[in-house]
Amino acid sequence: MAAVIEVRGLHKTSSGRAVLDIALLHLRAGESYVLSGDNGAGKSTLLRVLAGLEPATVHSYRFRGDELDPARLPSRVRRQIGYVHQHPYMFNASVQANVEYGLRVRGIASGERKARVREALAWAGVQDLAAMPAPQLSGGEQQRVALARLKALSPCVYLLDEPTANLDADGRRRVIELLGRLAGADNVVVIACHDQEVINLPGLVRLHLSEGRLDAAPRNAIAPLRETRIGG
Amino acid sequence: MELWDTTRQALVLLGTGDPELWQIVGVSLRVSLSALLLITAPAIAAGFVLAHVAFPGRRALVVLVQGLLSLPTVVVGLVLYMLLSRQGPLGDWHLLFTQKAMILGQMMLALPVLTAYTVTAVQGADARVFETAVSLGAGGFRAALSTLWEVRFGVMAAVFTGFGRIISEIGCSLMVGGNIAGLTRNMPTAIALETSKGQFAQGVALGIVLLILALGVNVALAALQGQGGMRKAWQP
Repeated sequence: MAAVIEVRGLHKTSSGRAVLDIALLHLRAGESYVLSGDNGAGKSTLLRVLAGLEPATVHSYRFRGDELDPARLPSRVRRQIGYVHQHPYMFNASVQANVEYGLRVRGIASGERKARVREALAWAGVQDLAAMPAPQLSGGEQQRVALARLKALSPCVYLLDEPTANLDADGRRRVIELLGRLAGADNVVVIACHDQEVINLPGLVRLHLSEGRLDAAPRNAIAPLRETRIGG
Repeated sequence: MELWDTTRQALVLLGTGDPELWQIVGVSLRVSLSALLLITAPAIAAGFVLAHVAFPGRRALVVLVQGLLSLPTVVVGLVLYMLLSRQGPLGDWHLLFTQKAMILGQMMLALPVLTAYTVTAVQGADARVFETAVSLGAGGFRAALSTLWEVRFGVMAAVFTGFGRIISEIGCSLMVGGNIAGLTRNMPTAIALETSKGQFAQGVALGIVLLILALGVNVALAALQGQGGMRKAWQP
């Protein structure tokens, strides 16, 4: 399968310390990746760089074959990449309005917008919360609303930062169930995670970050990966 | 009971719709609301940029804007007077002793207030707001508007504070307006004039209007804040 995102020579330093040092990263359509690593290994930073939210030195960044500057992604590309913070931000508005936001930004007509919001809320099992003020929801509910907010936009790339962190058992179970249903034939899902249950989800390609460097994760069906060929 | 008599006369003036008094109130409102209308958008934009965009000299600019909060109104009046006077560089505009000159002066006074308060409001916003908007597909301008919407009470406080600053200022209006009856005489300059003439009733009446305006603005702000503001996400 073709790479949706291909990054070569990604380097990032902070206070003189290398935070990321990745020779090659291939993210292919139809694949879901779990990115593990210790605290400070660079997982969140990598996701933020891929999302265009943080600058980094990159030898080349290709999105569906187009050479781009990740710090200045054009709108058409940025709208293909969805990112969710570890603690998702909820606009001070209803759940419905939160899920609708990205569709409004895209100028989707009202009828289609409502239908897609309904569909996304039902997909995440939060349709009963539609009228609730989103900032008042529990952490697990907010995470599901954040996933619905992205799902409504059908992005090509989902970048999820520790989606199960700090959730209670029930919230965690529901989010993990959604993560298992997020992948599609045309999209890429990358989940930065510590959670062993997520790491062990079937069908995920495992990537491991250690001190900013990618290496093959211990339990992966893929042949041991070299630094120059990551992601399958 | 001179105070009581003066207050009673002031209330009579207000109640009987004294045309001169309400004309002065009209000048005040027209000048201050025009200044506010013209300066609000650029001041809020400047405040957002100062709070959100990193560039060399930003910190110095923030300190400068905060320092200008206590800018004496007569100094603004003096500078503007020199610029607009016949020998000044903008003398050809013939703006001195007009409402337009007063509007310009009040814009200069409101600018640092609105900008500094907006900087504080945006700096207090959650850093994830802008990123969330961007990651949901918003462009920089729209994400900025969404961020401002999330801190709208702070931004509104900036606008109301700016209005409070200019509706009650006297130094600049007096210097570049000239306190011309029926043209540039506003509430503060009229109060000063009437008091100097020993005629307190109109001054007290105008003072009551100023107080009501100030209280009204604060009550409106408190009411808005009290709503909690759970609305739809901002949609330009």
